[in-house]
Amino acid sequence: MKTLVNISWRNIWRHPARSSVLIAAIVAGLWAGVVTVGLVNGLMLQRIDYLIESEVTHAQLHHPEFLAEGYSWLSIPDHDEIKNWLENDGRVKAFSFRTITDGMLQSPVKTSGVRIRGVDSESERRTTTFHENIVEGSYLDDDTPSAVIMGKTLADDHNMEIGNRIVLTFEDTNNELVSGSFNIVGIFQSASTTYDERNVFVRSNDLIRQLSDSPIYHEAGIMLENEELASAVVSELNSSFSGIEAQTWRQLSPELSMLVELGGVMVILITLIIMIALAFGILNTMLMALFERMRELGMLISIGMSRLRVFTMIMTEAVILTITGAAAGMLLAWITIRHFSTSGVNLEMFAEGAAQLGWDYIIYPVLTPMEFVAILAVVVVITLVASAYPAMKGVRINPLEASKSA
Amino acid sequence: MSIIKTENLSKVYNPDTVPVHALNNVNISFEEGEFTAVRGPSGSGKTTLLNMIGGLDKPTEGSVTIDGVDISKLKDSKRIDFRLHNIGFVFQHYNLIPVFTARENVSFIMLLQKRGKKEIRERADALLDKVGLSKKKDSRPVQMSGGEQQRVAVARALASEPKFILADEPTANLDTESAMNLLDIMNRMNKEQNVTFIFSTHDQRVIDRARRVITMVDGAIHKDEEQHVAEQA
Repeated sequence: MKTLVNISWRNIWRHPARSSVLIAAIVAGLWAGVVTVGLVNGLMLQRIDYLIESEVTHAQLHHPEFLAEGYSWLSIPDHDEIKNWLENDGRVKAFSFRTITDGMLQSPVKTSGVRIRGVDSESERRTTTFHENIVEGSYLDDDTPSAVIMGKTLADDHNMEIGNRIVLTFEDTNNELVSGSFNIVGIFQSASTTYDERNVFVRSNDLIRQLSDSPIYHEAGIMLENEELASAVVSELNSSFSGIEAQTWRQLSPELSMLVELGGVMVILITLIIMIALAFGILNTMLMALFERMRELGMLISIGMSRLRVFTMIMTEAVILTITGAAAGMLLAWITIRHFSTSGVNLEMFAEGAAQLGWDYIIYPVLTPMEFVAILAVVVVITLVASAYPAMKGVRINPLEASKSA
Repeated sequence: MSIIKTENLSKVYNPDTVPVHALNNVNISFEEGEFTAVRGPSGSGKTTLLNMIGGLDKPTEGSVTIDGVDISKLKDSKRIDFRLHNIGFVFQHYNLIPVFTARENVSFIMLLQKRGKKEIRERADALLDKVGLSKKKDSRPVQMSGGEQQRVAVARALASEPKFILADEPTANLDTESAMNLLDIMNRMNKEQNVTFIFSTHDQRVIDRARRVITMVDGAIHKDEEQHVAEQA
């Protein structure tokens, strides 16, 4: 085998330019492919993490009809008992009860339909990272009475700024229209401009006061110690309490689940495209090498080299050639991903479009060791498959080729 | 004692389209230690005969027996193995492995025979010394003349300790000096070590040195004669 590896290695360098070009192509292709896979992964994970951490949380519970109907009287029953249950469950990291209603926002400029979210700033801070989206002013934890924070897009639309007042109008639990004046204390900017346009945040106590005679909550966001616990916790909540429906983030946000699947499909597609290009590169190079060496291979079979050894020699050449390029490409990709996983790839030029879609413009590429190994394994398999044809042709060479003129 | 024997050996190319009878009922034998030239015009069947004897091609009819083994009946893989241990080849175009040095080219066949490292190195060096290439052991084919490459090819053919060596037009691409030098080496090996050489050739220089000359015409043995060769200085 040592001799075969030796002869294969030297055969590769018979045409240094040709082999170098192929190796360079493999390096560039794999580097680009692996980094792209890392970026796609990063993009997907960032979106999912952001949505879970800032909005959706690992699990939520509502009145079973609230999400479909949205009426303010469809509130969570027995919320004190549920709070108690959540406080005493070790798997629950934090939770926050929210009062939600749909209404109209009026400013001197115009009127907009919004979802009014009443939150307790303390528990909300513990549960989500939404407060990090504040770009002007403060969150809801100062003493300003009837405070409201609104999205930057909405504030710009209404020509509003910190210190201005707006009027929120909505139905109370008795179907009566109520209005309240709120002071703008903060402006937020999330990853999605659509979200920023349609949501305002007030203190839950301020909202409850106008909605109902007694405390009512429409949503509880629950962050767990880890995402894998979501299904079990949700299932226990649903069996322990009646009149509520607890759901995992996957159930609440099917588009997020689809995103995960889409990410997987994209990774497969990218890998497939690279591998097809790689396979043709190897096939072409090995066939050229084979046709150039018909007489030599004929001679080897003539003097007694078994066809199996000829096959192994050609396969070894292809594998060495590819592994050399693949190792360099993977190493380069690993260095690139490692570097950008902390500093991020800044795609500021696409920031506006990305924000419309709710994507971050700084992407932190991610590639798990498993994905790394899987790509390397696919490269090896593709190399073996692509070089099998030239190797089979080599095996079938007639030893009489050795006697032929060049 | 004959080491090669053909019986009713025939080879027909394109039997289903335009049949070409390359060999017609050839019955011939070769003794150990022969220095034989097979001559004849192009298309006379001399290369086909060598290919059959060398087990590179299968006869349409008849048999080739080498040291009691009918190689025409052997499976391809067995025939390759048989060639490795029993037959040496020298080709018109030298056919050395271009990425190997002279020593590696000679060693390669012994590696295929799975001989020991030390034995391979010693034998390769000794053979290259014998063919006058002691200073070119580490040279690659591209750094050697045609005559030198052909001498490496002879050393390679001898390396496996074959029962006989088949040389297909070995001097065709060589100038007179190189050709004579090569023939001297092969003649010396034949005399000193009793190595059997069978050439197919057009080259009168080779024919003049052969002790047996077989003339072929239209795929058949036309003449088979012994000749006296004067000792070379």
